[in-house]
Formats: sequence, C-alpha cells, structure tokens
Amino acid sequence: MDLNNRLSGNELQKNLSGQPGFGNFNTQHPQKWEDPSIIDYSMRIEPPFRGFNQVKVGQDGLVNELRPTNKIQEWDPSAMLSSFSFLEQKIHQLRDLVHLIVGRRGQVLGRPDELVTQQQQLITADLTSIIVQLISTAGSLLPYVKSTHSAAPPSMGQFGQLGGAVFPSIPGLNGGIQLQNTSGSKVSNQPNQNDVSANCGSEQNHNNEEHDLKEEEDAEEGENLPPGSYEILQPEKEEILAPHTHFCTICGKGFKRDANLRMHMRGHGDEYKTPAALAKPHKESSSEPTLIKRYSCPCTGCKRNKDHKKFQPLKTILCVKNHYKRTHCDKSYTCSRCNTKRFSVVADLKTHEKHCGKDKWLCSCGTTFSRKDKLFGHIALFQGHTPAIASEETKAQVGPFERREGNQVTNKVGSMNFNFSPNASSESGVQNIMNVKGNIDDPTTYFSPLNFDNLGGFNDFPRPPFDDSESSFGFLLPGSCNYNQKSAADDSNNLA
Amino acid sequence: MSSGSTKNILSFTEDLLIRVYEKLSSGSDRKSWRLVCREFLRVDLVTQNHLRVLRVEFLPGLLRKYTRLQSLDFSVCPRIDDGTVSMLLPRHGSGSESDSLSWGSWARGLKCLVLSRATGLGFFGLEALVHVCPLLEIVDVSYCCGFGDREAAALSHAAGLRVLKMDKCLNLSDVGLAKIAVRCGRLECLSLKWCMEITDLGIGLLCKKRVDLKSLDISYLKVRNESLHSIASMKKLEVLAMVGCPVVDDFGLQFLENGCPMLQGMDVSRCECVSSSGLISVIKGHSGLRELNASYSFPELCTTFLHCLKGLKHLELIRIDGSRISETSFSVISAHCKSLLEIGLSKCVGVNNMGIMQLVSGCVNLRILNLTCCHSITDAAISAIADSCRNLICLKLESCDMITEKSLYQLSSFCLLLEEIDLTDCHGVNDKGLKYLSSCSGLQCLKLGLCMNISDKGLFNIGSNCPKIHELDLYRCTGIGDESLAAISKGCKNLMKLNLSYCSGITDRGLEYVGHMHELSDLEMRGLEKVTGAGLAAVAAGCKRLSDLDLKHCDKVDDSSFWALACHAKNIRQINLSYCAISDMALCMVMANLTHLQDAKLVHLNNVSVEGFELALRACFVQIKKVKLFAPLSYLLSSEILENLHAKGCKIRWD
Repeated sequence: MDLNNRLSGNELQKNLSGQPGFGNFNTQHPQKWEDPSIIDYSMRIEPPFRGFNQVKVGQDGLVNELRPTNKIQEWDPSAMLSSFSFLEQKIHQLRDLVHLIVGRRGQVLGRPDELVTQQQQLITADLTSIIVQLISTAGSLLPYVKSTHSAAPPSMGQFGQLGGAVFPSIPGLNGGIQLQNTSGSKVSNQPNQNDVSANCGSEQNHNNEEHDLKEEEDAEEGENLPPGSYEILQPEKEEILAPHTHFCTICGKGFKRDANLRMHMRGHGDEYKTPAALAKPHKESSSEPTLIKRYSCPCTGCKRNKDHKKFQPLKTILCVKNHYKRTHCDKSYTCSRCNTKRFSVVADLKTHEKHCGKDKWLCSCGTTFSRKDKLFGHIALFQGHTPAIASEETKAQVGPFERREGNQVTNKVGSMNFNFSPNASSESGVQNIMNVKGNIDDPTTYFSPLNFDNLGGFNDFPRPPFDDSESSFGFLLPGSCNYNQKSAADDSNNLA
Repeated sequence: MSSGSTKNILSFTEDLLIRVYEKLSSGSDRKSWRLVCREFLRVDLVTQNHLRVLRVEFLPGLLRKYTRLQSLDFSVCPRIDDGTVSMLLPRHGSGSESDSLSWGSWARGLKCLVLSRATGLGFFGLEALVHVCPLLEIVDVSYCCGFGDREAAALSHAAGLRVLKMDKCLNLSDVGLAKIAVRCGRLECLSLKWCMEITDLGIGLLCKKRVDLKSLDISYLKVRNESLHSIASMKKLEVLAMVGCPVVDDFGLQFLENGCPMLQGMDVSRCECVSSSGLISVIKGHSGLRELNASYSFPELCTTFLHCLKGLKHLELIRIDGSRISETSFSVISAHCKSLLEIGLSKCVGVNNMGIMQLVSGCVNLRILNLTCCHSITDAAISAIADSCRNLICLKLESCDMITEKSLYQLSSFCLLLEEIDLTDCHGVNDKGLKYLSSCSGLQCLKLGLCMNISDKGLFNIGSNCPKIHELDLYRCTGIGDESLAAISKGCKNLMKLNLSYCSGITDRGLEYVGHMHELSDLEMRGLEKVTGAGLAAVAAGCKRLSDLDLKHCDKVDDSSFWALACHAKNIRQINLSYCAISDMALCMVMANLTHLQDAKLVHLNNVSVEGFELALRACFVQIKKVKLFAPLSYLLSSEILENLHAKGCKIRWD
C-alpha cells in the first residue's frame, strides 16, 4: 500500500471516527512509534475515557428516549446533568494527570516496570471512582428501565444485560461498553471497589505486552462503522508476507511502493512520463463515495479475523502486514546494540535502535533506565535485583591471554590477564567456575563475528531474553562487531 | 629444662599439646615449636588456622599441609596475582587424581581472606578465590586501588560475608556497592574509606538493603546530608565513622539525633562543616555513646556541648584534638564522664596543669592519655596523672618541653602498667629520667626522638630493665653511641622497630650489635655518617626478619654491603636507598634478589645510570608495588618498563 492510500485512510478515519482527538492517533505512521511512552499511556488511559464518553452519549440518548414514556417515578434529569458535569471534570483531571506522567517520563522503558504499574494503579483508582459515579448515575435510571420492561425485580445485573442489548447497535462502542457492562455487573454482585479496579485493570493489563499494545493501536478505536457498512478484505498469508506489493505489468518487477513503480514505469516508454501518469492516482476515487474497505487477518481465532465474535477490522493493508508480522510471525530482527530486543517489523527495530543504549543504567533484570537514581530506586524496590556493571564489557574486551610462566617478563601490558579457562579444565568443567564465567563474561569469545558466521542464522542462536545481567548485557559493546551481527541477522531473516 | 621434663612434655597427649601450643602467641615461638620434633610439627599443622604468607612460592605446599586454615593473609605477599590464584585453585586434568582432590580443600574452611594491597590481583583471580571459599566471612581488599565495581561484584558472590573492608578501592562506585548491598545479606561491617566515587545514592541503597549493618565507615567520601538521613534509618548501627566528610554539616548530623538507636561509636573528626551544634544533636539522641572522636572538627568547645557531655555516662573515649579548651571544661568532663578510658587532647589550646589536675581527679580510670603538643604541661600535671591514674597504659607527651625527670619519677613510681610512652622532643628527659622510667618493666614502646640530653648511660638502664620493649625511637639522639645499642641488643630481645636516624655517634660496631637483634623488622638508620659497608653487612647478616630498611643518606655504605643485603635480607619489603652511593650493579643485585620488595625509594642515586635503573626495575617488576624515582627519569626510562609496572599495579612516585 502506498503513501496515498495510507493518507486517505487517515482522513477517512478522521472523518468516520467522529472523535478528532483520537482519530489523530494513526498507528501505521512510523514516526508515531518514536515515543512509545505516549502511545503507551494514551492507549492505556484514554480508551476507557472514550468509552465513558460514549456511554454518556448513549445514555443521554436513552434518557431522551425514555423520558416521555415514563414519568411515574421521580427522576431528576438536572441531577444527572450535574453528575455528568462532575464526571467530565473528573475525567479532565485524570487526563491532565496522565499527560503529566507522560511528560515526565521522557524515556520509555521497553517493558512495563513497577513504576508504570504504580501509576496505572493510581489512575485505575481514579477511574474506579468515575465508574462508581457513572453507575450510580445510571442506577438512578434503573427503575425506569424496569418499568418499561416486564415486571422483573430490579437488579443491576439486568441493567448490565440491558446495556449489552442496547448498545451493540453502535458497533464501534463495543470496547467501551463492554467495560462498562462488566464493571457494572461486578459492582452489582459484590460492591467491592477492588473488584471494579481489577476489571478496569484488565483493560490495561493486556497492554502490558508490547505488541498487544501496538496492535491496539492498529485498531480503529474511534471507528463507529456498523457491520456491513464496509467491505471486508482478507489478504492471504503469502500476500501479506510478500516483499513487494506493486508489480510492473510489463516486466513483472515488484516494488514496495507505488511511487517507485511509477518511477520504474518511466523506463517502459514515454507514455508513462506524463505528469498525469506520474501523479498520485487517488484524487478522483476519494471524491466519489465508494464502499469503505476494511481488512481482516487471515489467522483464524485472531481478534482481527472477521470470524471472531469481537472482530475489530484493520484499516489498511499496511495495518494487516504489521499486525500479521507482529502477532503471528517470529521476531527475527534483533537489536544489534542490546542483543535482547527482538522485532518482527523492521520499522519497530529501527525505532528501538534510535533510543537503544541511551538508557545506560541497567538492572540485572534487564530493565534499563535513563537515570541512575531511577535505577537505584528500582533496585531498592525489588528483592535481589542488582545494577549491571557497565565497565564489565569494556574490560572483558581484552581477550584471554596465555599463562605467564615464572619470572618471564612479557612485553605486553595486557598480558597481566590470565586465562582461566585452560583446555584441560574445560574438559571436565564441573567445578571450574572460572572457566564458565570467563567465557560468559567475555562477549568477544562468544559473539565474535566469526561465531556468527559459523552459526549461520541468527535465529538458530538460542538465548534466553533476560538470563543474567553479566551475560545478557555483556554484549553492549560500543561499536563491537555491530555490522557483522546486523548483517547476520538480516541474512537469517532473509533465509527465514 | 631438665631431661625429665622434656620427656614429660613429649609424652603429653595430643590435646594437651594443642593446649600448650595455643598459648604461644608470637610467630617466632611457634616456629621454635615446629622445629622441636615431628609430633610438635603435626600439632602445629592441625592447630594452626591462620596463615600470613610472604613467599608465594611456598604457598602451594603450605596450603596442602595446613588443612584447617580459617584465615589467609596475603597483605604482605606482593606477588599474589591472578596467575598465582589460578595455580592454587582446584584444577581438573592436571596432576594425579589424589593430588587434585587435595587441592582446594584449603579453601573450603576459609573464613577470612586478607588481600590488602594485593594490587596485582585482578577481577578473575578475585572471583575465583571467592568462588572456591564458600564460608568466607571476612574479606579485606583495602588499598587495592585499582579495584572497582567488577571486583565488588565478584566479592558479592560471597553470600556469607560479614566484614568487608574496601578502603581506597578507588574505582568502586555506587553500582559495585549496590551489588554488595543486595547480595551480601549478612553484612555487618563495611568500610568504604576513600572510595571517592560513592555517592548518596549508593549509601541510600546500602542503608535500605542492609538494615542490620553494625559498623559503617564512610570516611572521606563526598556524601551529603542525604546519606546521613538514610544512615539514620539503620536500627542496628553501632559504629559510624565519617572522618573528613567535607560536605556533611550539622543538618546531616541532626538526622542522627532520632536515628541509629544502637549507636555507640561516632567519629566526626576533620569534618569541616560540622560544628558543635551538630554534635550536640547526636549526643542528645544517644546517651549510650561510648566513643566520640571529634578531632579537628571545631575550633572551640562551647559550654552547651560540655553540658551535653553530662548525659554520656558510658563515654569511654573522647578525642577533641585541635580544639580550644578551658579549665572549666575539664571539670565538667571529670565530674560526669567517670568511665572515661581514653582522652585525646593532642594540640589542644588551653590545656594547662590546672585543667589536667581537674580532669584526672574524676577520670581515675584513664588508660590512654594523649597530651601531644600541650606545651604548658609541667611536672605538676604529670604528678597528678601518675597519682590518680594508676592504670595508665599509654601516655603521649610529645613536645611537652617542661617535663623533667621528676615526671618520669612519678610515673615510674605509680604507673607500673605503663606500656607506651612518647617523650619525643622533650628536652627535659635525661639519663636520670630514663633510669627512673626503666622501672616500668612492662614498657613496650619508648619514643625518645630529639631527646638530646640522653646518653648511653640512660639507655643502658632501659636495656637492662625493660626486656619487653619492641619499639624504640632514638631519632636524632646525638648523645648516644654504640654502647647504648650493645645494652639494648643484650636486654631487649623482642625489639622489632628501631629508629637510629641521625644518631651521629653510631658506628659500625653499634650496627654489629643491631645485627644481634633477631626480631628486628624495621630499622631506620638515615644519615649515619660513620657507618660503612661493614655495619650494614652485619645488620643484613644478623637481622633475618628485617622487612623495612631506611638507608637514606648513608653515604659511606658501599657496594659490598649491598651485595650482602641482596644475599641475606630476603624478607625486606620496603627499602629507602635515596642518596646512597650504590652502583648500577649493586642496585640491580638488590632489586633482583630481594624477591619480596614492594616499596623502594630510589631518588638521587648519583652512581646509578639510566640503564642501571631500567635493569633494576625490570628485575623487580614482578613484585614491586610502589617506587619513588627521580622525576627526570620519567623521560629517560623506556615506556615499556613503565607500562609493565603500571599494569602490575605498581605506583610510581616521581620526585
């Protein structure tokens, strides 16, 4: 898919979503990935907001609908309005708080750490109070609802069912409504704030996995497309994984971008050199109302697959590609700097590499920090975590030396280092810790370019993601065999 | 000993022999024991649990024989390095099976490892040592200047570590400290003196993770008040040393007022920003304080501080060196600090006879009294001290000019337990005084530097009556001659430290007497103009234990004696040859053959060429740790040798 399509998709999204604030949130734009922290937070925090807003709208509609029919019980719309304004205020406060957190945390952590979860909990608590308020507001409506239906005993559970029944008519709201439903029913069953927060937390919890999060991003959260209002396309697996999407009709050469194809076409004759032929071919199509296209993931059981009961369509073909690679493919791109982070989309790797290594304070658990005090705060918090030693790598670069004998004066300064892994001892290798350690601590022995060549594929190399500080971060060698590793990784990827 | 009794002791059972053996304290006594017979040697082998290694070449054999070692001290072994360690480690595939089994057994019971100044040791060696010693509790890596975070990480694998000294591990930062703080769960005592990279963050983490710490030394660190805030949260801290912390001030000390409930010892000496008000807040919160060192911290003892001292009923030690003190202060101290054992008043302004009299009237238990540079002290004060403090053990009277033999008479009459007395620069001390003093037969350390009025007569009395003396300082005692040394070498068989610098009356004959002092380990003989090679040769041949020798300005000592030195004085660790007439050849001989030489001062050797220096340094570079050289040599010596020295952990001081 070319840039135009993507852009048009954007506009489309904006138009359709009806929520400009969130519609801007374009996921496939590579630059958006630059600061995942923002994405992180907005993903975490804002969907519930939107959900509530929508719920509010929906309830307003409901209220309007219900008002004329039922005037039996005293229902005070002005009280509800005031409670809505309270909610609004509360949400604004919370949003400000989240913005503050986002601003403060300039650097992103690759994986969620305790600080993030703490902040999450804080926000969750606030959200809980909002939800409780919302429920109590909605609860004031309850008698009305009951009276309109059969004479069933009034129960919150029914309200939940009711919500489920009423709201699906607006499909885009599913996520938000669902949250509302579950929390509502929970509260009715056991009025326990913790439980509510747990439910709210679940919304956030599945953001913990980085790629889930990005996937969420692909989802058109604000889209309110009713099912059937768009055409569902499901590209095949091969099509998704194909390196090229645009092919020359004359010679068959493939291109990743339409623009490149158009440039290529110039070589096939003068007719392709006209400004019209070279222009972006989208203008006329966007003007006439065509059926909106949405995409489905070919993997059955995936939430992005059209057969899934909570199907969330993907907006563009690029979304499908990214989603498919991130979710259903191996993460074959490894960061050549940290050697721990792995990605299945090259753009993700590049984004990561931009800030990889800037977090120079490392913990033995693998978490990186931009500031020393943050690291020490982390270590103080967790049992058994220790800081990884940066100097270990630089020192370990000095290769093993032969054992010096007696008083023999060696000329090399570095020869003061002794090799603790003589072949004799490595044969039995049971107790000789030095041997093991020496090898692990010395990345040059393990990860020399030679070794990579020998290993052939980078994928073949077995390595736990975060085994131990000394070994996993031993590879943070400034400028050591970067190129080789990278090329090895690329090669292996191509092979795979 | 009659033959009957010898038979008796030989028929003792092993456990009795072990008991007898355990009574022997000094190394030379134990050596004699070992030499008696095989049985005695066996007792030594199974009982001895501490080993202080000088010669690394004997180490493998020793480790195989001494199977019950608990403590291994490498602090005087200059050649301990990664290579040595790797040889000592259990290795598979080398040697016979039984041999490899016996290997490493020495490490299994080892609890204490002293690696002080083991600058040749690297990270790998240290880690290997830590790994083979599972029971390690005490580790001393002080003055291993190159040690840093990696070494700390290696040490942190010793999970049972209780005591860790890392003084002057210059590269140690918060990261390494954090490793230790997190992993060494039983740590009780930690010394971080001069670890300049440590900041508040490291100390803060340490205090959070190791709340059970009992002793902490953060001297000379550039930590701020925040560190004291975190330290205050340590519930079990008993001793806190923070000498020379330049940034900590009274606000920091205020945190301690309500923290560290167990605090017993506090050292705030040389803290520039600390005043008495900060110390007052510490004292207020800790009435159980036993030791307080506030030397050179504040210029004047204010009255409020003294009033606070009233609350310290258990105070045993107070040092207020360098401050101004009034007579009334002494009366307050003597009235309230009855249990005081030691008081340091060195360089205090305002100390006079009246003050001292008031002090000793109350503090009758004083054992150690430091009156260095209290110039206005006279015999009256010393009499009062002698009269009241019968248990006095150590008295320092350096530069107390007004002291005469009367003081010494009083002291010798009443303070019979006196072990150490410093009379440096007390011109009133004469032969008569020494005669009085010699009746303190327990005297172990006597400093008579710059006492011009003493002669052979006085020292004869000391030599004949004070057999326990092991340290004697005769710096610039120009009145003494060879006869003094004759008397001392005859009477003081335990003498270990002797300073004869600038005693111009000493000749070769005197040094021959010195050669009979078999225990002598430190000898300073600077500027002995009459001494020639024969004298030094006698010392070299006789003093087998000699480890520290200062020959500066011994102009007449010639090459032949240096050859003798190279041949005989195998235990020398420190040598000062500056301004000596040593030649190229002799220097190379000395440096190459003194295989345990660690510290050499080699400036102004006029007869030595650059090639001579180069060769000499090459010859000794394996073991040398510190060398002082004439500054222009830095350009003349090859870079290769300098790099080698540096890589080996040797520090070169250019003069």
